[in-house]
Order: sequence, then C-alpha cells, then structure tokens
Amino acid sequence: MADWVLKGLRTGIKSTAYPQLPEKASGVSPGRPIGTSLGSAKRAETLAELCPTGAIIRDGRNVTVDFGRCVHCYRCHPDEGDEAVSWDLSYEWAADRDQLAAAKRKLDRAFGRSLYLRFVDAGACGACVSEARQLNNPYYNMHRLGFFTTPTPRNADVLLVAGPVSDAMRIPLRQTYEAMPTPKRVVAIGACALFGGVFGPSFVASGGAAEIIPVDVEVPGCPPPPLAILHALLVVVERKPPTPLASLPSAQSREMA
Amino acid sequence: MSITTQLFALFFVLCGSGAVAAFILPTRWNPISLAVFGTLTALVLLAAGGLLLLGDAEFHAELWPVLSLGVMTLAADRLSALFLFVAGLVFLPVAIFSGSYLVKYLCHYSLRYFNFLYFALFASIVLVLLAGDALSFLVSWEFVSIVSYLLVNFEYKREESSQAAFVMLAMSEAGTIAVAIAFLLVAVAAGSMEFGALRSAAPSLSATMAGAVFLLSFFGFAVKAGLVPVNSWLPLAHPVAPTNVSALLSAVIVNLGIYGIVRFNLDLVPATTSRPGLIVLVIGSVSALIGILYATVESEMKRLLAHSTIENMGIVAAGIGAAMIFLATGHQIVASIALIAATYHLANHSVYKALLFLGTGAVEAGAHTRDLDRLGGIARVMPWTSVFFLIGVMAIAALPPLNGFVSEWLTLQTVLRSVLLSSTPVKIVFAISGAMLALTAGLAVTCFVKVFAMGFLGLARSEGAANAAEVRIGMRTPLALLAAACILLGLLPTYVIPILDRSVMPLTHESATAALVPPFFSLAAQGQEAIPPKFLAEFHDLGAQVGEGLLPGRGLVVLHRGEEHNPVIFAMSTSYMFVALTGILALTFVVFRLATRGRTLARRAVWAGGLRRLWPGITYTATGFSNPVRVIFGAVLHPAAGEDSTEAVAQHFRTAITRDQVEAHIVDRLVLDPPVSGLRWLAAIVRRMHVGNVNAYAAYVLVALLLVLIIGAGIF
Repeated sequence: MADWVLKGLRTGIKSTAYPQLPEKASGVSPGRPIGTSLGSAKRAETLAELCPTGAIIRDGRNVTVDFGRCVHCYRCHPDEGDEAVSWDLSYEWAADRDQLAAAKRKLDRAFGRSLYLRFVDAGACGACVSEARQLNNPYYNMHRLGFFTTPTPRNADVLLVAGPVSDAMRIPLRQTYEAMPTPKRVVAIGACALFGGVFGPSFVASGGAAEIIPVDVEVPGCPPPPLAILHALLVVVERKPPTPLASLPSAQSREMA
Repeated sequence: MSITTQLFALFFVLCGSGAVAAFILPTRWNPISLAVFGTLTALVLLAAGGLLLLGDAEFHAELWPVLSLGVMTLAADRLSALFLFVAGLVFLPVAIFSGSYLVKYLCHYSLRYFNFLYFALFASIVLVLLAGDALSFLVSWEFVSIVSYLLVNFEYKREESSQAAFVMLAMSEAGTIAVAIAFLLVAVAAGSMEFGALRSAAPSLSATMAGAVFLLSFFGFAVKAGLVPVNSWLPLAHPVAPTNVSALLSAVIVNLGIYGIVRFNLDLVPATTSRPGLIVLVIGSVSALIGILYATVESEMKRLLAHSTIENMGIVAAGIGAAMIFLATGHQIVASIALIAATYHLANHSVYKALLFLGTGAVEAGAHTRDLDRLGGIARVMPWTSVFFLIGVMAIAALPPLNGFVSEWLTLQTVLRSVLLSSTPVKIVFAISGAMLALTAGLAVTCFVKVFAMGFLGLARSEGAANAAEVRIGMRTPLALLAAACILLGLLPTYVIPILDRSVMPLTHESATAALVPPFFSLAAQGQEAIPPKFLAEFHDLGAQVGEGLLPGRGLVVLHRGEEHNPVIFAMSTSYMFVALTGILALTFVVFRLATRGRTLARRAVWAGGLRRLWPGITYTATGFSNPVRVIFGAVLHPAAGEDSTEAVAQHFRTAITRDQVEAHIVDRLVLDPPVSGLRWLAAIVRRMHVGNVNAYAAYVLVALLLVLIIGAGIF
C-alpha cells in the first residue's frame, strides 16, 4: 500500500496536458484531409473520384474537403500516391451542427465542471466505442475535467451516440433521449453517426443520429481519436470553440458544393 | 369477590363457552363464533389487565390443593398484568381477523377443532401469566406447548407442517424439562412450590446451585423466546402454521419466554453477580444480529418475520441482561430504565409483529403467495392493507416517530449507560453488544425496505399478485387497530413509560419515572421532584412545555438527567418530532409547489434500459436486493450452491439456468448438527447388534439378566 502511494508520487502526473496545452505526442491523431490546390483540373478530378463517400469536392484546380463525410480510408493520403491532398495532424475536430440553436440553448455554467455522459452504441462497428472508452484511461483521464459517465439517462446531461442507428436501435435511442432531463445535449461521434458512414442510409440503418434525435455537436472521423471526443465535450460546456467541418482552402466550399 | 376476580372468572367462562360453542353451532358459523367469543374474551382480558396495570387492584385466588405439593394459586401483580394486557392487545385483532381468515379452511380442515384449540391456547397463556406457584406455572406452561403444537400442526395433511410442529414440540419439551428442574431445585430449598416461598428461599441458594438454576431456567425460557442457539423452531413453525396462529406465536407465545426470564431470573431468583446478566446480554445481542441477518436474506414473508422475531426477542433479552447487570451492581434506576426499554420493546414487538403477520395473511388472501420474489405492486391493488403494512414496516424498522424507534433507542441508550459500571471486561462486553445492536438496527432497515419495496411497490411478478383484490373489511379492521396502536405507542412514550415503570418497579425497587419523564408540564411539581429551576427553565425555553394545559401528564419529552456536570444524558421526544416532521413535510410540499410554479412538468415513460416494454421478469427481486448482504456476510450465512440445471434449445442455445442455493442456518450448522451426527454415528455402531439372529438376541437377554443380577447383588 505504501509502495503504491510512493510509486504514484514518484511517477507523477502522466495525463495529457490538453486542453491547457496542445498535445504534442505523435500518433494521437490520424490526421484529417484538408482542401488543397492541386495545380491541374485533371488531378483534382481524379482525386475527387478516389473518395468513396464524396467528401472531396472538385472546385476547378482545387479540391475542398467536407470532413464530415470522411471515413479515413486514406486513399487521398500523401503516402498512398501522387494524387493526394494535404494532411493536417490536428485533433480539435468537433463542430457545432447548428450554431443558432446552440446559442439559444446555452448550458448553465454549473455544467462546466460536472457533466454526466450517457454513451449509446447505436450500431457502431466498435471503433468509436473503443476510442470513447479511452477517455476513462489514465492518459486522457476525462474525470480531471469534470466529465463522468453514468449508466442511466436520468442522470445524464450529454448523450454520446456512435453508429449509424440501426433499425433495432431507433426506439432505444429515442427513449434514451426522452428519458434525459433538460437541459441536454447530443454529441454524435464518428462518420456513421454523422451521415450513416459506410452503412447507411440503407435497409437496416438510418443515415445518422440526426434523423432520430436533434444533434448538437458532431465529431467527424472514422473513428475520431479520444482527443477529438474530449474536444467535443469541451465544446458542449463552451470551454473550447468548435471547428468548422468544411476545410480550406476556400471557406465557402461547402455552400458551393 | 373483587372486580378483577370477577373479570378473570368471566374470561375463563367465555373461553369455555367459545370452545363449547364451536361444537354446538353449525361448522359454517365457526369463524364468526371465534370472532365474537374471541373479541369478547380479549376485551375482558384487556379490562382486567388494564385495571391491574393502571389501578391499585390486586388479584389473588386459591384454586385447590394438589396432594402434598401445596395449593394451586392464581395471582397477578403488575408484571403479569403488563404481559396479560399485551396478550389481550394481540388476541383482540387476531380474533377479528380469524373471523374472515378461517373461511378458507371450511371443507378442508375441522374448524371446530381449531376453535377449541384457540380458546384452549388463550386460556392456558393467561394461566401461565396468572400462575402463583411453580406447579400451576409448569402445568399451564406445558398446556401452552401442547396446544400450540396442535395449532401449528393444524394443516396436518401437509408433511412439512407435521415435521415443523414436531421440531417445535421437541424443543419446547426440552425447555420445559429444564425449567421444571430449575423450579424444583429452588422448591426443594424453599420447601414449597409457592412463588412467595421461592422468592424468600432464593438468597439461601449456594453460588453453584444459583448458577445451575440460572442456566437451566434461562435455557428453558430461551427456547420459548426463540433466542440463539435454540431458535430453530421459529423459522420452521411460522410458515406452516395458519397465519393467525403465526401471529400468536410471534406476538404472544415468545413473550411467555421473556416473561419466564423476567419472573424467574429477576423476580424469584435474582442474580447476585453480573455473570448471568452478561450471558443474557450476549445471547440477546447475538440473537438480534443473527435473527436480522437471516431475515434480510429471506424472501418468504412469514419465515422472514419469524427470523425478525428472533431479532426482536434478542433486543428484549439484551435489555433484560443489561437490567440484570445493573441490578447486581446496585444501579437500580438504570436497571429500571433497562427493564422499561425491554418491556416497551416487547409490547411494541407484539403489536407490530401481529400487524405484519396479519398483513401477510391479508396479502396471501389477496395474492395467493407470500414469496416476495413473486409479489410486487400490491400497493396499487390493495391500498388499505398496504398503508397499514407500511406503518408496521416503519415501526419494526425503528423509524421515528413510530414505536419501534422509541424502544430501540431506549435500549441502546441503556447499553451506553455501561459507563457507570466499574469492571472493564463488563464494559467491553457492553460495548460489543451495543455495536451488535446498532448493526442490527441498520440491517433491520435494509430488511424491511426490502419487504415493502419488493412486495408492495413495482410491478406484479406473478399472476396472483397482478390480480389481487383488497381484502374484506373484517380483515382490514384488525390491521387498522394494530397500526393505530403502533402510532400511539410511538407518539406518546411519556404516557407509556410511567405505566411500564409501575409494572417493573417491584423487581428493581426504584421508580424510573422521575428519571425518564421530567415534569415539564407542571411547574408546581418542581419542588418535590428536586429538578433545578434553571434546568427546567432552559427546557421551557426550548418549548418542552408546549402542550401544557392541552394534555394531561408530566410532559412529552423522554429525558434522563445526570449529575451537575452532565445535566442531560439523553433526551428525545417523538411527540414533538412528529409535529416537526409533519411541518417539514408540509413545508417541503409548499416550497416544491412554489419553486415549480409556472413550469411545465414533463412526464416520460419509466426508463427500462432502452427496452421497448418493461416486464416484471427483469425488475429487481427481493433475492437480488438482499444479495449484497448475502455476499458481505458470506462467512456467517455460508451459502452453498447446488447443482446448476440448464435448459437449452437444440443443445446449444441456453434459455435458462437454474441454480439452487442452500443456506443452512448457522445455529444448525454449528450447534445442532455436530451432536445429531454424533448420535447417528453412535446409532450406526449400536445397530451392528441387530444381526437378525435369534440366538444372538437370546444371548443379549442372558447377558442383560446377568448384568442386572450382578449390579443388584452389588447394591444390596
């Protein structure tokens, strides 16, 4: 027992410094494709056709990236060939789905350091679940920021949804959302929860959580790294600003698409 | 003839007419006749007991001389009056309840027989309490044993019923033998069977003799009181007996054991050292803990209540043990307080245990099951029964301001008064017992939260519970009476304590009324009672005089005063607590309404883990609720898992796994099983003599004859 305390003191704090300081360790993020100027319309065309989910949109000689639709297949990654977009190794990916509505439903300051999460796996492949689970480990240690999980939605403030919402999970997801007291927020994790991913919309799954319940914050990625989910929670309690989904070089790329 | 003599004569005449009426009236009228005669007898007993308890009436009657053993006498002092009154308090609602309850036995069992036994039991219980000499005590004691055996075995067609009743009779007889020897040992020294003579002969007993007498009598009475380690008959007999008989077993017959301990070991042969008291205290607190432990993990309501009876009798015995120690060490007033606590708890236990047993009977009549795992949702279909049952549950869980709280609190406070004692080992024993009693109180809350939550709330877990209907008014009235008694005994302790004090004063020779109930209502009394005016004034500033002029009596605060440097040792008032709690409840309601005014209330379906429909099979069960206790106290409960049986479809898809878990009672395991297996072992050896050969048997006869001749020659 004494050894245990001593060892703890000797080891010191090993948790990530995020959000006070940016995380510098390598491998915490798979990176994200960002809009790139390719120099020729032909190359831009080829690149856009490479993307299986249509996240890369050609715009003349440039491509813009709708990161919300990216499934991290890496076909456009610089390592995979000459036709590649730029990669950005950031991890603060969480986006506000509807900024107006979010502003209207400002969470109380009291939630800033005590936020209870209810995680619902609505038909996910397991990747998002695995990443979300990392938040409880000593490295990401979400408890230090005042985030806790709860088994019952009656105590939950935030609903974390992963997966495309399979048919079997439609009613349970709806019930979970309704069982939560107001004020409440919904965070959709991963490409599937955002738009159905590679599974939906189809004969067994809908096209994302937003079809069933109102989603407030979206975390793109397939799967998003733990820090991206942590960023989403910080966005919910307004301790970090959200990042837009559509990316450089042109800011209006999404509307144009 | 004095009025009490007339009342007792009337009582026995009514008992006799009740028994005779059972055979004259048509069978279908038997329940009604039991209700009518039972109510009348109980009322007469209450009147007689009340007169003896409150007034200065005395009762003494000589019956007839028996050979050379002396005259059989009946006599009642205030101690017996207290037990008589409590018995009447239980018999009254039980009689009313039986009027509706017994109908279910029509055409199955003979109700004539039941009525006869009921009145025989009632009369013999009263005779035990009235006995004025050892002979009539033992005779009526034996009658109680036999008649209660017959009543427990009323459903004689059921195998388990006969077995349980036989265990009860066997243990009871063992106890009776011990008691009889104890009485005879003292009677030989006294030269008479009369209680007065026994009392005066007690001091002349040698220390060894007094010790033997104590051990024998305590063993014998402990069997009746259901104390560990002679408690095995309670959880066996209660579930098989008709419910009204269970109520009588738990609320009256076990009291006789306590009466025996008090009468014999405090009144007739009081202990001169603190050792007997220590034994009673330790046995009492161990019984309390073991009783409640088994009650907490039990799901069958009647068996649960039987275990809880062991617990409550343990608390009473602990109070009596404390009183014996305080008395032996010369702390008369504290001994009085301890005895008041014990008798108060005894009366309370009788009232709420009768309520709970009759409530269980009502639930069984409505839902056709007593298994908590199969009940549920009874509050919705049987609202009246549930309300009364809730009052009983709160009382037995010792929640203020109900009666269980008052007596358990007093018992714990007296155990804490061990600081007065000089011997350190005794103090340590007191501390451990106090801790055990406190743990008992905690577990009791767990246990009875389980009973009410699993039985009465939630979803119905069986067809019977779902289709239950409220019982008839004849079954609800006795519940209401007992619930009212629970509330009154809880809210007005300052009126009950002086009465109890009067009945235990002959044992301790010192009144504790002044020490427990200060006269806050009458300033005039302060001179006589020697209460410092400053002290009185301080409590009057706190509002201890509220109610003065409205209510008679000395006050509503139970308060034990100490010396100058420690003016208040303990103080409590359930009466004011009730007012305050009601006020807080009302205030909460008002504040809640004000705070939520203008807000819309959203109603959502019950959260069932995302399932489309909540069905009873997945809700929490009583077994599940008590499983943490089962795990924590695994060393004591020692659950042994049996074979798993698996149901499967197509060999691979398991649909159900059934696991039987057997819990042998710790007393059976540690105390009863070793001698039983030893006897079996011995019997197996002796059995080898039975070789089935005639020549061998002839040889045995010859050897036996030779032995007798040799021994005979040696003696003469």
